Parts: sequence; C-alpha cells; structure tokens
Amino acid sequence: MSLNVFICGVGGQGLVLLTRVIGDACARSGKKIVTGEMYGLSQRSGAVSVHMRIGENVYSPLIPLGKADIMIALEAIESLRYIEYLKKDGVILMNKRIMHPPIETSKIVTSKNKIEYFTLDQVVARLKKWTSNIAIIDALKLAKQSGNARTENTVFLGCLSALEVFPVEEKQVKQSIADAVPKKTVEMNLKAFDLGRKNAYDSLCKKVACREKPN
Amino acid sequence: MVLKDVLSKEAKPAFMLGNEAIVRGALEADVKVVAFYPGAPTSEVLDTFSAAIGEFDYQMEITSNEKVALEVTAGAAFSGVRSLTAMKSVGTNVASDILFVLGYTGVRGGLVIVMADDPHAHSSQSEEDGRFFAPNAYIPMLEPASPQEAKDMTKRAFEISEKHRVPVIIRTVTRVNHQSGIVQLNKFVRKDFKKVKWKDLAEEYTTLGEVARQKKLKMLKRTKAISEEFETSEFNVITKADSDIGIITSSVSYLHALEALKILGLQNKVSVLKLGTTFPLPKKLIQGFIKNLKKVIIVEELSPYLEKEVYVLSKNINPNLKIFGKLSGTFSEAWEYNPDIVTTGIALATGSKKPNYKTLSQKAKKLKENLPDRYPTFCAGCPHRATFVALNQALKIQVSKGQNHYFANDIGCYSMWIYPPISRSDSSLCMGAGVGVANGLSHVIEERVVTIIGDSTFFHAGIPAIVNAVHNQNKFTVFILDNSVTAMTGQQFNPSTEFTAGGRKGKKVLIENICKAIGVEFVEVVDSYDVKNNVEIFRKALDFDGLAVVVSRRECALYGDRVKRRQGTPIVPFYVDKTMCKKPYVCLRTFYCPAYELDKDKQPRISLELCDGCSVCSKLCPFHSIKRAGVKT
Repeated sequence: MSLNVFICGVGGQGLVLLTRVIGDACARSGKKIVTGEMYGLSQRSGAVSVHMRIGENVYSPLIPLGKADIMIALEAIESLRYIEYLKKDGVILMNKRIMHPPIETSKIVTSKNKIEYFTLDQVVARLKKWTSNIAIIDALKLAKQSGNARTENTVFLGCLSALEVFPVEEKQVKQSIADAVPKKTVEMNLKAFDLGRKNAYDSLCKKVACREKPN
Repeated sequence: MVLKDVLSKEAKPAFMLGNEAIVRGALEADVKVVAFYPGAPTSEVLDTFSAAIGEFDYQMEITSNEKVALEVTAGAAFSGVRSLTAMKSVGTNVASDILFVLGYTGVRGGLVIVMADDPHAHSSQSEEDGRFFAPNAYIPMLEPASPQEAKDMTKRAFEISEKHRVPVIIRTVTRVNHQSGIVQLNKFVRKDFKKVKWKDLAEEYTTLGEVARQKKLKMLKRTKAISEEFETSEFNVITKADSDIGIITSSVSYLHALEALKILGLQNKVSVLKLGTTFPLPKKLIQGFIKNLKKVIIVEELSPYLEKEVYVLSKNINPNLKIFGKLSGTFSEAWEYNPDIVTTGIALATGSKKPNYKTLSQKAKKLKENLPDRYPTFCAGCPHRATFVALNQALKIQVSKGQNHYFANDIGCYSMWIYPPISRSDSSLCMGAGVGVANGLSHVIEERVVTIIGDSTFFHAGIPAIVNAVHNQNKFTVFILDNSVTAMTGQQFNPSTEFTAGGRKGKKVLIENICKAIGVEFVEVVDSYDVKNNVEIFRKALDFDGLAVVVSRRECALYGDRVKRRQGTPIVPFYVDKTMCKKPYVCLRTFYCPAYELDKDKQPRISLELCDGCSVCSKLCPFHSIKRAGVKT
C-alpha cells in the first residue's frame, strides 16, 4: 500500500514544516516515507510544492503524473497549477484563501482592458472537471480561531489525518506537532489540528472514507 | 524536531532532509572543522551545522566565499583533522583554483567536499554539470541517490579520503539535497577537540613545475588504486534480471528508473547497475555488466558523462551493444528528470507502452488557461523594494535630463528585479559580475552604467572588481544593498553582521570603510526605507564624474521579523483608510508588495497577516491614506 500526497501553496505558508511533521510521525510509527521538496527561490511569495509518498514499493521522491491520491492546496489558485499530478477522482483539500500575486494585481490597475481577479468559483469550476472530491476549507478562519493565524498548515494536517487512507494515528501526529513547532505555539497548533480534523468531517467525510470521528 | 534527530545519540530511524543526513553522517564520522558559503541547494548543511554548534566541539566558519571555505577545510585537513565543506556547483567554480591544487598535494585528514548540481536551474544561473570537476582534478567522487545514502557516503568518504590522502567529492543534485526520507541513525562517539603540533606532522603541500610533474605521476597511480577499490564498493549495486537489456544509472535518476520500471511492468525484467562511485569509475564492473547485453539504457541527468564512458568501455568487449541515452536522442541533456521523463525514455528504448501523459497534460493545460503566474518576489517589508522604488524614480529623472543607463543586476534576492512586474535588468550573470562587467561597459557605452550588488556578494566577489574600478579610474555607479544577512539562501550571517555561525560573536566589517579605504571618492550610506531622501542622493551618485558607491542599508525583513518574534516585539501592520484613498493606485503601481490586493470595489487593501509594518508604502501615498492599524487618528 502506498499513498501519494501532493502539497502546494505559497512561500511562507509552512509547507516545509507540514512535511516535517508528517515525516516525523511516519518515522515514529515505522512507516516508510519519501518526499521531494520544490522551493528554489520561492520563500519569496512564490509557488512551493512538496511531493510526498508514504508506504511500500515507492522509489522516486517525485510523484508520477496522475498518481497523487490527495492534493493539499494551502492556497486555492495553486491547486490548478499542479492538477496534472492528481489522479482522476483524487481528493483535494483546498484552502478557501486566495493570495493574489502582485503581478495579477498590478495588471488589473495598469491594463487598459478590463481584467478581474481569478476567483475561488472559477478555481472550483475547473477543478470539478478533474474530480468531485473537493473540500474547501476556510483554514485562515480556523487558524485564527486557534489563536494563531500562522497555523493554516496545521489545520490541513488535521483534515488529512481524518482520512482513512492516511496511515498514521492521530496521537503520533500530535506528538510530532508538539515536537516540531515553537514551544509557545504548541497549544494553538494542537487546537488548529483539532479544528481542521473536525472540519473534514463536515466538508469531506460524506464523500470520502474517513477514520472514526473523535468524540 | 529534525535538529533533535541530528543530535540524537540513539540508533533509530528518523525523517531527514538529504542535507541533514549529510550533517549527521559527518557528525558520526567525528568531523572537527566545517566551513561554508551558503548556496541553494546545499544551504541546509550550513544551517544544520550552525544550529547544532552548541552541542559539539567542531570549529565552524561561514566564510566570505567558497574558495575560502575550501581553503579553511584544506588547512584543517593538512593538520590531520577531519573537515567538510559544501557548495553548489557554481560555487565550485569559485573554489576550483584550490580544488585542482588539492588533487596534487593531497591532504592528511579526511576532507569531504559536498558539491550540489542544480538541474533545472531551480535556484542557479546555469544547469552546470559539476561531475567533470572530478576527473579533471583527479578527485574521487561519490553520488548518493537518497538521504540514507547521503549519510552513508559522507561517512565512507572520510575513510577513503584518509586512506588515499585525497579530498573526496560527494556530488548531489537538488533532488537529493531536497529529498527527505527515513534515515537510520547510528550511535557515535566523538573524540575531544585538541590542537595538534605542526612539527609532529610536518610534510610539504607544495606543487609547482618539477614538483607538480612528479606529483602528477603519483596522482595517476592513486587514481588507479582507488578505481580498483571502487570495483567492490558497496555503493555500486547490480540488480540482475534474466534479460539482455540493462540500465546503468546513478544519483536520483536511479530512483526515477526504478519507478519507471514499476510503471512499465518491467520490474525484475531489466537488469540495473546503480553506480555510486562515479569517479574513478569501476570499469571492470561496468564491462562485466554490459558484456552479454544487447541494449543498455543510460539514465543520468545533464551531460552524457556515464554514457560516453560506456561507449568507450563497450568498444572491445561488446561492440554491437546498442546504447540508449542522450547521444541516441532517447533522453535530453536539458532540465531535471522525473519519473515521467524517465518512463518515456525507457519505454522508447525497450519498445514498451507508456502511460498516456499527453492527454493528461493537455487536459490539465486547458484547466490552467489564464491562471495567474506566481513569480518569486520581494517579501512584504523587503528593503530592496524600497531601494528600487527610489532608484527607479532617480533613473526616470535622470532619463528626463538626458542621462540613459545600462542596468547590471547580480546574484541575490535583488536578482528578482528580472521578474515581472518589474522586469528590468540588462544583465544578471554570476556572483560579483555586475561590478566586473561595469568596468568594461564603462569604457565602451555612452550610457551611465549602474550596478547593484548585495552585502554578501560584495564580500564574496565584488571587492576585486571595485578595486579595479578605482585603480583604472572607471566611472560608474554601484548600489550596495546591505540587508545584513545572506538573505536569498535563508538569512545566514555574513561579515556585514556582528554574528557568525551559531549566532556567535563575529567582527562586523563595514562596507563603506572598505570602499573609502580602497579610494572610492563618492561613498554615501542611506537607510533603504527613506525613499524620498534617497532619490536625491541616488541622483547625485548617478551624476558623479567618477566611481560612486551608495550603501543602501536596512536589515532583511524576514530576518528582522524573526528577531522581533523571538523578542516578543509586536509587528504592527498598516491598513488603507477607505475614506481618504482616492485610488490613484500609486501603492500598487510602484510598490508591488505581496501584502496588497484589491477588494471588490477595486479598493486597495493590505492583508494584515502579510504586512510587515515597514511603513514605506504609507510614505508614498499622496493622500496619506495608509495608516498603522490600531493607531487612532
């Protein structure tokens, strides 16, 4: 059994930390994992992505085209940028948030033609042509509820851990979160994780097999 | 978490980045001196050593460039101490002068050089194939495919280095440095750091003329001996299948090849030779592998380095062997490989049916129509953006007065000036080359030459070109963008701060003092955020009849924010007061800050989560509508 997870977002959203937490949780529970992290110059608000492959019979650190079981998009537009990696009817966990690149905004105010922002509705309409298993998560809102707007990544970790195909126990993931984040943000991150997990039951678990709902 | 694993004395599995696995390997091998100039994709080697410095007794330097780093580690290795440096392959270009010499002189202690190529030029100016350094300098080379191998090879490299008294290169590619996986940690014991007496060790490390000629003979003998040893290296692995088709591969391409065989249903149907020792090559092993094959497929990124060797080695032993690689057109020398490219190549060579990537890609392409691009850009609060706003204004005024410009960019965060929406640079080459070419251009072109260079790049390779300009009385303008750290690679300390590796105390070197001491007659130091005043000073520097240097100083926003968070200093963001904004979009047209976006009414708004509170945009607004959030007016 293997699970391919494609993670994408914008530099600064904490994709690398997210990867570290999952990797550590896998190491603790004796699961194999390999990742390829694509971040070149992208700490600077550029596009960032991580290929994550958990389980046996996996070789390359990069996911072959059309073979990702799950896509996590920490920013909505980025989900389309890598859509070819997602398998047909794969699962998308997508942030509601759009971070408009400066070049997009600059075009709107400088162009003579009437240009509008790319919208969430447009993103979703296009994604639906690829898969119907889309969960849109207001991660920034949930992160703020946890007390720290910078925990969007942990919200998604909560969502992911609700899915039946994700092979690591919640307890292990939480332990890895507690070890990975700065001490003073541990509580907020664990709360963000719980909020994300709960949200998955509302947004996705009707369509996709999930683990047993915690009380 | 990972640092904890790097430090762990336990033998256990841990999830590690390739770069961290290299550090762990070196620590297990009792490395005592390390030195680096940061460069993606190797920077985390430096960062991890820097973070772990309090736990161990190694000496560490963040050096001014890669040549110095290699010299620092060579000096230590002359004294019998294990040492390590890591650099991107374009950094090896800078270090190559001493690298070639070390092939002749050799070393006493283990010296390991991690050299990372960047196929796809993810974060480099070229897709250099650094493997050719090894045969050219007669320095042995190992190539890991995974983090586990990166750790194992680093440890073994020290042993090879000491046995044969020669530095050893660990050659990686981005996809190995930035690959994470499960690494088995071993227990290790470190000896105490003790100074040694040179007179107890004394031997000579010279090479010139007749000495060099004699050492060349020894070098050839050494290489032959290592080649023999590599015939049985544990890093060269053959997976035999009952087939007359074989694959020869190395580095991460090995992993892509295994994936491709799985996709094509060819697992255990094609033999595979994975080479870990790629200089000197285990020639007998390769010949034994290809002897009875009809077809061999060479899977390697960039140049046909292995492929050409296979042509030579097959000549007598199997002249009818069909070789599929770059020379046959099966694979390209361009760009990074992935499972899909390798699957396509192997399918072509074996006559297998490959997945229909074309339909998949075409369908995806349709969904991506008009998708906004997302180029890397200056962070919110970046002082470089403020410098460029002032510089742009100054240049515009100069143009209106009849002075036109050549704009030479350089290597650092400010390189992003080449990307839209700014897109302005006449050249962007390699470390320090902006000032270098400015010298030549200033002789020949009518326009005023303007060049920018960062603090770290100035120390790395900028100083000689500025000395040259002073001595030859060349006339151009240099803007030195001093943000205190080597920002592009992860905000490492450099001589522009009072800190060095691990946050330890270092002596700050002032750029303006160097420039004045060299004899630059126009030297001004400004605060990057002070856009309005800077326009005038920049114009004076552009008008100056001679070499003019302006140091635009303000610490990197990412670094500054991190310090603030650590100290508990609040970051107070700004907001746009809708009642005062008349939407001239000065903020958006000139500033390109990622914290800005438009709301439904096309009203500029600032994302409180992204704003760093730098205040620069607030000073540009003609209607004073940008205000500190939470501050009453």
